Amino acid sequence: MPLLVAMLLVPLVTAALGGIDAPRRVKEAIRLGGLSLTFALCLATASAFLDGGVPSAFGDALRVDGLSALVLVLCGFTGLLSAAYGVGYMRRNEARGLVTPRMRQEFDVLVPAYVFAMLLVAVSNNLGILWIAVELTTLASVFLVAFHNRDTSLEAAWKFLMLGSLGLAFALLGTVLLFASGQGRLGEGMSALHWTRFMELAPELHPFTLRLGVVFALIGYGTKAGLAPMHTWKPDAYREAPSPAGVLMAVGMLNGALYCLLRVHMISKAAIGPDFSGGLLLALGLLSVLVATPFILIQWDLKRLLAYSSIEHVGIMAVGIGLGADAAIFGALLHMTYHTFAKPLAFFSAGTLAQLHRSSDFATIGPGTLGRAPISSSLLLLAAMFITGSPPFSLFFSEMLILRAGFLGPNVVATSVFLAALVVIFCGFAYQIGRLLLGPQPAGAAQAVEPETLDFSLGTTLVTAAIAVITPVYLPAPLLALIHAAASLVSGGA
Amino acid sequence: MVPDLLILCGAGMLVTAYLMVGQKSLFMTIRLYGAQSLLLAVVAATMAVAEAHPHLFVMAAMTTVLKGFLIPWFLMRVVDRIGIHREIEPFLNVPASLLVCLGLTVVGYRVSTGFPEGAAGMTHHVIGVGLSTLMIGLFLMVTRKKAITQILALLTVENAVFLVALGITSGMPLVVELGIFFDVILAVLVLGILVRRIVDRFESMDISRLSRLKG
Repeated sequence: MPLLVAMLLVPLVTAALGGIDAPRRVKEAIRLGGLSLTFALCLATASAFLDGGVPSAFGDALRVDGLSALVLVLCGFTGLLSAAYGVGYMRRNEARGLVTPRMRQEFDVLVPAYVFAMLLVAVSNNLGILWIAVELTTLASVFLVAFHNRDTSLEAAWKFLMLGSLGLAFALLGTVLLFASGQGRLGEGMSALHWTRFMELAPELHPFTLRLGVVFALIGYGTKAGLAPMHTWKPDAYREAPSPAGVLMAVGMLNGALYCLLRVHMISKAAIGPDFSGGLLLALGLLSVLVATPFILIQWDLKRLLAYSSIEHVGIMAVGIGLGADAAIFGALLHMTYHTFAKPLAFFSAGTLAQLHRSSDFATIGPGTLGRAPISSSLLLLAAMFITGSPPFSLFFSEMLILRAGFLGPNVVATSVFLAALVVIFCGFAYQIGRLLLGPQPAGAAQAVEPETLDFSLGTTLVTAAIAVITPVYLPAPLLALIHAAASLVSGGA
Repeated sequence: MVPDLLILCGAGMLVTAYLMVGQKSLFMTIRLYGAQSLLLAVVAATMAVAEAHPHLFVMAAMTTVLKGFLIPWFLMRVVDRIGIHREIEPFLNVPASLLVCLGLTVVGYRVSTGFPEGAAGMTHHVIGVGLSTLMIGLFLMVTRKKAITQILALLTVENAVFLVALGITSGMPLVVELGIFFDVILAVLVLGILVRRIVDRFESMDISRLSRLKG
C-alpha cells in the first residue's frame, strides 16, 4: 500500500474506532496513538518528497509536491497537538458534567475525521477532489462548533454552516468555470480536473471564463480561510468550539484553505500573469487586516480575540502572496509555518484559562489572572508576544520579510497601510492581554477559580511553548527545505 | 428541438426560483425545489442524448432520485416534525423582492454574453438562466428568516451551479460529480439535524432570533 494512502487511512480508521464503546482510557489511547501515527506518516511522506520522489496515488489524483508536503506536515502536527491537549481538556469537562460520554464519543469520531479531511485537502491534485475534501472539513467541524449545545453554540454552528456552504457553492462554481475555460482541451474523465493538467494548458485557457472562475474560487475558498468580508463566522465558531477543535480550525483549516487559494492563484498566474489573482489576494488580505483591527481594540471575549487575530494572520499571508515578489511569497509561507507553531500555544493557554474560570468573557476572567493561574497566564503572555509579531519572536521575522518585499515593490501605499494596521493591532493586543493578566485580584475571585494542576493539557501547553520558542532559533533543515520547495513552486521557479 | 427543450427547462428552473420568492408556505417551497430539480434532470438527460455523453444519464438519474424526491421528502419530514408550516414576513416584502430579482436576471444575462459560444448556440441562454437563478438563490438566502427556507435557497444556488456547469461544459467528470452528490446529501442531513437541535432549543426556527453573538 502506498505511503500516501496509508497516511489518509490511519485517521479514517481512528475516526471509525472512535465510534465504538470502550473505556475512556482506551479511547484516549486510540485517538492519541492514531494521530501520532498519522503525523509520523505525514513526516515520512514529506521526507519521501525531499528524497526526490513525487508520492502519488489513484492516477495522480492525489499527488505530493512541495506545497502539499509543507501543508501535510503542518496539519499532521496540529492534529497531534489537538489530540494531546484534548485528553486533559475532555477529562476536566467530563469531571464537571459538561461533557457526557456520548458527547466524548462524538468528539472521538469528529476530530480524526476532521484531520483526515484536512490531509485530503493537502494532497489532492484534482480540483474536484479538492472541493469535496474542503466540504468534508466543513461537515466534520459543524458539530464540533455545536458541541456544547448551548444557544450560542447552535447560533455559531448555523452561521458557520450557512456561510461555509455558500462559500463552497461559490468555489464549486469557480471550479466549473475553470474547467470550462479549458474549452474541452482538458479532456474528459478524472484527469481533466487535475491541477497539473491546468498548469500544462494554462496559456490556452479562455481568459474571460478563467477570470470569472478565479474570482468565484478565491471568494469561495477565501470564506473557508476567513478572509474579510467573508470572515463573520470565525469569531462565533472559535468561541463556541472546544479549544482542541478550535486549534484544528484556526491552524489546520486555515492552512488548508490557504493551500486552495494558492492552487487557484498558481493556475491564474500561469495563464494570465500574476496581477489579476495577486491583486485580488492583496486586496482581500489588506481588508482582513483592516477589519480585524477595530474588533481587536474593542474585544470583550478572549476566544473571539484569538479569532480576530486569526483573521489578521490569514490576511498577512494573503498580502504576502498577493505582493508577488519571491521574498514576499517565501515570507508568507514562513509566516504560515511559524503561525502553526505559535497559535496553538495561544489557544491552549487561553482555553485553560477559560476552562478554569468557566467563561471566556473578559468581564468574568479578568483582571489579575496572573495571580490565580500563573502558568497559563504567563504562557498566554508569551503566545501574545508571538502572534503580535514582537521582536525577537518568530512571526516578527516573517512579517519583516513581507514588509520589506512590499516596500521594495510597486505597492508602497498598500504596504504602508498594512504596516500601520499591524502596529495598531500590536497595541490593541498588548492592551487586551494587559487588562486580563495584570491588575488587582477582585475580592473572592481566587475562591471561585479552580487552581491550576499539572495535568495532560497543561503538559501539552508547555511542550507547545517549547516548540514555539525553539523553532525560530533552530528551524529543522528538512522543514526549511520544504518551505523553500513550496515557495519556489508558488513563485513559478521549479 | 433540442435547444428549445433545453431553454424551456432552464427557463422553467428560473420560474420556480421566482415562485419560491413569492411563496410563504414551506411545503409549497419544498415542492417547488423538487420541481426545479426534476427540470435540471431533464436538462441533463437532453444533453446526454444531444451530445452523446452517456455519463450525463447517471447525473440525470441521481438528480431525479436524490434532489427530486429524497431531499424534498426529508425536508418535508423535518417541517412536519417541527409543526411550523409558514414563512413569516421576510426582511423585504414580496413585490419589492420580485423587482430585485428582475434586476438580478438582467445582470445574469449580461454576464453570460462574455462566454465563448458553445454547442448548438443555446449555451448562452442556459448560462444566463443559471447565473440568474444563482443570484435569486443568494437573494432568497439573505432575506428569509426560516431555517428551512435558507436551506432551500442554498440548494437552489447549488442547482444553479449545476445548470451553469451543464451549459458551459456539458458536465464535470463523473467521479467528481458523484462526490459532489454525496457531499450534498451529507450536507442536507447535517442541516436537518442542526435545524432539529435549534428548534428543540429555541422552540422556533426563526433565524433572526440567532443574534446573540456580536462584536
